[in-house]
Amino acid sequence: MAKKKSGQIGRYKILGELGRGAMGVVYRAEDPALDRVVALKTILLTDDVEGREEYQTRFFLEAKAAGKLTHPHIVTTYDFGEQDGVAYLAMELLEGTDLRARIKQGALAAADAVDIAKQVAEALGFAHERGIVHRDIKPGNIMLLPRGQAKIMDFGLARMRVADHKTATGMVLGTPKYMSPEQVAGSPVDNRSDIFSLGIVLYEMLTGARLFAGEDMPQIMHNVTHAEHEPPTRANPALPAMLDFVVARALKKDPAVRYQDAYELAADLRTCLAELHGRTAPAGKGEASAVTKTIRIESTNGRAPPAPAVGAIAVDTRLPLSRQFNSGVALLRLASPARRDRDRLGRAPRPVGWLRRLRRDAGPRLVFVALVAAAAATYIAFG
Amino acid sequence: MSTSASVYASVVFLKVHEFARGRVSEQARLRAQLEVVVAVTTAELAPSSRIVLDASDGAAIVVLADAPGALRLAERALNAAAAGLPLSAGINHGAVRLAGDGKGDEGLVGDGIAVAANVAEFAAPSCLLISRSFRDALADAAPGLESSMLTAGTFTDPGLREHELFAPDPFAARRRHRRYAALAVAAAIALFGAGAGVRISVEGQQRFVDRMETKYRDTAAQGERYLRGLVEKVKF
Repeated sequence: MAKKKSGQIGRYKILGELGRGAMGVVYRAEDPALDRVVALKTILLTDDVEGREEYQTRFFLEAKAAGKLTHPHIVTTYDFGEQDGVAYLAMELLEGTDLRARIKQGALAAADAVDIAKQVAEALGFAHERGIVHRDIKPGNIMLLPRGQAKIMDFGLARMRVADHKTATGMVLGTPKYMSPEQVAGSPVDNRSDIFSLGIVLYEMLTGARLFAGEDMPQIMHNVTHAEHEPPTRANPALPAMLDFVVARALKKDPAVRYQDAYELAADLRTCLAELHGRTAPAGKGEASAVTKTIRIESTNGRAPPAPAVGAIAVDTRLPLSRQFNSGVALLRLASPARRDRDRLGRAPRPVGWLRRLRRDAGPRLVFVALVAAAAATYIAFG
Repeated sequence: MSTSASVYASVVFLKVHEFARGRVSEQARLRAQLEVVVAVTTAELAPSSRIVLDASDGAAIVVLADAPGALRLAERALNAAAAGLPLSAGINHGAVRLAGDGKGDEGLVGDGIAVAANVAEFAAPSCLLISRSFRDALADAAPGLESSMLTAGTFTDPGLREHELFAPDPFAARRRHRRYAALAVAAAIALFGAGAGVRISVEGQQRFVDRMETKYRDTAAQGERYLRGLVEKVKF
């Protein structure tokens, strides 16, 4: 599709195809100037001249911003350009597998999952500090390299994709499984949206189960905004309890009570990792300062209000049984109530009649007794 | 999904304030503290009467057929948590139902829980609020106990449902007792006075006074005789 007849895009010589996506094709290519093999991501530009110019401008802006991100856990962007209606992005070529393929094989070992999430959180913290929000953190965008290194791909491209897939009604297409509630609602997003998405990825790595599944998109979107997750330790009791808190905080529907900073999440994951490894967490100088640092990236659209608290949308009433307390006897009573219980538990409170009140309430009983006594005294005195 | 029929139960929702905003290590500490508080306070209830549920920022205790017990539990939990645990409590009486997948993943659902959570949300730290339905349940189980709950206002939850809430007043019971005592005395005096009034209007004042004097003299003489007899008996 985007491949040129000459087998060349820009100055890059195409060596083969690595994959295809919704936006274009990814090639293995060679940069003859530096004698380096790169991954060349192509994006088809629209035929509409006006739209194309706008799209191209935005693509270049995003690519330029992403190109500034040099971090061990972010795929490096080397170059970008446009040729004959095809925009391209030359990136670091990675030899590894993506996390999506790894999760398909089942849950990861807890230490591996936490380590990957920590690396991604650190990379996100780095990008967020520079005002760049990924917007599409999902297993498919996380590459796993040999020796356990993780790298985030496609920084800045999510916004292109969203724009590309917007319908006339402004509805966002694409999978919302890894979107934050504010993203699903179409509200402006900031760094906390990436943290929510990473929370989903972490949950799926730990449990091997899809967190927000559904038969169709509206159902998934509903689940993202309304459904509360089960703590990961329920699926895997061997996990440290602290992970429940970490996942719960990353997956808060209301961004105001979520982790405000990816570094903060990374610090907590580091503590979990230390617990998993059975030693104390390393407290490096830089790390300690990162723990307390909270950076808020202003949303791109300053006009709109912050995302609504999910409490404003719905309340999930299901609460799990506490594992610390044995409620078995009461549950049995609830599941198969005795006849007396069926009467007592099966009805709403009754209004209290005056006879019952006289019998059981000390105040009115006192007045009643006083009246009877006074009546008797009156009769005795004057009768 | 295994479910049971809905039942009415009192739900005490203990909410740790600002739990979600705390650091994870802080959250773990607060959670451990809360578990101690719940363990101490639920010890007074029979195991067949209480179900403890985990909430993201606290705990919910479902109390079966014991509304006064639920109230005591909430008050004790707030007292126990006074040192270092920013706890608030909300109590509601409503429908709950067992729900689970039958693989040890049981939980409870129901409006009873949702409203209790909302009520606790409105309560300030160290404060207890109860819903109208719990007040009714309290009146049903122990008439008179509900009068120690004073109205705290009407609150609208994020789902736009209005809740009429009440807060306990430690002096309300004493005040009510005094009020009823005063009412009893006043009613007795009024009844006595009304009896006298009716007699006067029927017999005329002079006759009434004469009759009373006679009756008084007779009663006094009777009393004197009785006393004398008593003294004789004692002497013997």
